[in-house]
Amino acid sequence: MKKLMIAATALLMLGGLAQAATVRVATEGAYPPWNYIDDATGKPAGFEIDLAAELCKRAGVECEVVTNAWDSIIPNLVAGNYDAIMAGMSITDERKQTIDFTQNYYPPDPSVYMVRKGTALDFAAISGKNIGVQGGTIQAGYVKENFGAANTVKEYDTADNALADLNAGNVDAILADGGYVRDIIAGSNGALEIIGPDVKIGGGVGVGLRKGDAELGGKLNAAIDAMKKDGSLDALIIKWFPDMAPGPIFAGN
Amino acid sequence: MLDLLPEPLKAWLGPDVTFWLGYFTNGKHIAFFVSVHYTVLAALLGAACALVFGLMGAALWTSRNPWLRWPGAVYVNMVRGVPDVLFFLFFPLAFEQAMEWMRASAVCTPEAAAERAGQWPPCPDANIFFSTYEYLALACVSLGIVYGAFAANVIAGAMRSVPRGQLEAARAFGLSARQVLWRVHLPQMWIYALPGLSNVWMLIIKATSLLSLLQIADIVQLANRLGAPNFSRSAGLVHGDWRWGYYLVLLVFYIGLTFVSERVFAALTRRASRGMAIEGAAR
Amino acid sequence: MTLVDAIWADVVALWRPALLNIYFAFASIPLGFVLAIFVALGKASRNRPLSRLASGYIYAFRGSPFFIQLFMFYSLMLALNLSVWKPLGIDTIVLNPLVLGPAILALNTTAYSAEIFHGALMAVPRGELEAARAFGMTRAQIFRRITWPNMLRLAWPAYTNEVVFLFHATALVYFTLPVIDGNADLMNKAGELFERDYNALLHYSVTAMFFLAISLCIFLIFGTFYRHLMRHTEGPKRIKFTTARL
Repeated sequence: MKKLMIAATALLMLGGLAQAATVRVATEGAYPPWNYIDDATGKPAGFEIDLAAELCKRAGVECEVVTNAWDSIIPNLVAGNYDAIMAGMSITDERKQTIDFTQNYYPPDPSVYMVRKGTALDFAAISGKNIGVQGGTIQAGYVKENFGAANTVKEYDTADNALADLNAGNVDAILADGGYVRDIIAGSNGALEIIGPDVKIGGGVGVGLRKGDAELGGKLNAAIDAMKKDGSLDALIIKWFPDMAPGPIFAGN
Repeated sequence: MLDLLPEPLKAWLGPDVTFWLGYFTNGKHIAFFVSVHYTVLAALLGAACALVFGLMGAALWTSRNPWLRWPGAVYVNMVRGVPDVLFFLFFPLAFEQAMEWMRASAVCTPEAAAERAGQWPPCPDANIFFSTYEYLALACVSLGIVYGAFAANVIAGAMRSVPRGQLEAARAFGLSARQVLWRVHLPQMWIYALPGLSNVWMLIIKATSLLSLLQIADIVQLANRLGAPNFSRSAGLVHGDWRWGYYLVLLVFYIGLTFVSERVFAALTRRASRGMAIEGAAR
Repeated sequence: MTLVDAIWADVVALWRPALLNIYFAFASIPLGFVLAIFVALGKASRNRPLSRLASGYIYAFRGSPFFIQLFMFYSLMLALNLSVWKPLGIDTIVLNPLVLGPAILALNTTAYSAEIFHGALMAVPRGELEAARAFGMTRAQIFRRITWPNMLRLAWPAYTNEVVFLFHATALVYFTLPVIDGNADLMNKAGELFERDYNALLHYSVTAMFFLAISLCIFLIFGTFYRHLMRHTEGPKRIKFTTARL
């Protein structure tokens, strides 16, 4: 029995070492156009999958994109199931306590409210409404803090599930990233619209890394720097987020 | 996938049928169909593990040595008080942590461990990565542990149901205690255990629906992904909320599995009970 | 922090979530019990379509995982929201997890309990029924005085097990339905605690203890009622527990 255990441990160690060469990048696969599962191929696709491929090429590392549910995406990074997160994750001080971030690869983008067309909400004195958010997001924290007392906050495990409830009239509004909402509204055939004020939260989106993983962080930061300088990051952002305000985003900074 | 169809057939089917045929065989749907193998593997391997744990549990539980009997009794009775999903989530986590702990004692330097005090894993080198199939194997073992306790209960009962006369007759023939156990008691036990084991198998089938909780992209997770509304034109077909339809398909799939299992167990019972003097036996 | 302190901290963190699981069980058991009696009588009925319908219901719900039933009914209720629940003005009630959760639990336990009650109905001693008929009792009288008490006595041990399994099934509700205003249940909270410090053994053990303690309470309460049911009989009056959900 003991021999067997030693053998098993040795095997696991070898397995772990052999796999250490590839960098595993986790994404959610349910947050278009950032990351989603492509209908045609059944594989992850989107802005961050394109970006990950380019960053890894520039950083000279082998990468593999894996999917993980949003609610356990940080714990599983910390536990070492993968090495990086690229899942539209905003850089916040709270998250920085558990994980590290690279510099942002997507600029700070205000969150917006999405409603079914024709819904009127008085944001100055909103009460008795159902507000949907994806659990564990910056929007969830914001809504709970600001509207939690007078309204019902519903937390969903994916943005899609929140969207389903909005469509079905089970929530009155969803607060989510502008880039996501604009993509959804463009495809909703006029069924949904943005109302109310922009909510300026979050410090842009960066790659999430295990604390102290300076080697990978350094490589990725350098690659992001290079992509910002030569304008290829701007081009990629504009390709995936055509509704983004025109003008240089990162280039020339 | 649709490219495989000859043009005349496509023309005969019309654009609508062809479109939907193409949609339901696109990459995302193919991934859904392929993911059925996780469910089937988990059920079969989980049942095999449950049988092994069940035999061991029953052996412990019916032992005359109290040092063996008590752990057996605790094991068999534990599942009465604690939900299966809790074991199901806990065991793979605990196993991974135990492995990492073992590895940490070998590879972590004291400095690296001190730096990460209170965090997991103890040092970056101790980290172990499990692939989907390794997680699936862990899921099968946890299914085996939970439903092994159910199976142990069934097997212990079946062992008691074998008529005393059979065992006494075997002993009278001069068979040793070991021979009586392996040649008479265990072979005859199965027929009494079959109805109960069939019940345990049904429970295992239904428990395979929990695989998605271990981040395995199984049919339940993919049904959710396929049915969820999509308004993003880059992702593919724009559609509303179709989830309940996909879940209905899963429901029917599981009811079908139950139905087939029932038939198979009925046939097994008929086969196993040939020549046995019990109710319902084939003559 | 000593081990005792750590366990106590978990007990404090988990007792409110535990109330939610208890609520789910309490809200669904009475409804499931009443419905199960009707479905069991339906299955035993001589009316073929009715009997088929009841059998089909039992087969479908026992033959599929509760986890998927939860998903399916939630998304189905949602799909009916704009066309049915909104116009009726009951959408906030129907789609509230605190209502929908117990409702789906009740549908599920109805099937399992109905199978138990049906088995018990079939086992009611014929002699007693014939004697009652010979006495000239009406059908209602026979049901109230012979069938019902016999069925309850025969079914009670298996029904007790079913109630415990139903309580365990409440652990799945919040893996599916949206959490409202941060009201987490036991499994949710355990996951949250685990993600803070990765101490799986501590948090899941304390959670298991909660389930164990409440399960034991159910056994105790139902066991006491069983002794009351069997007070006129000789012999053992303890419930013999099976581990399989029948």
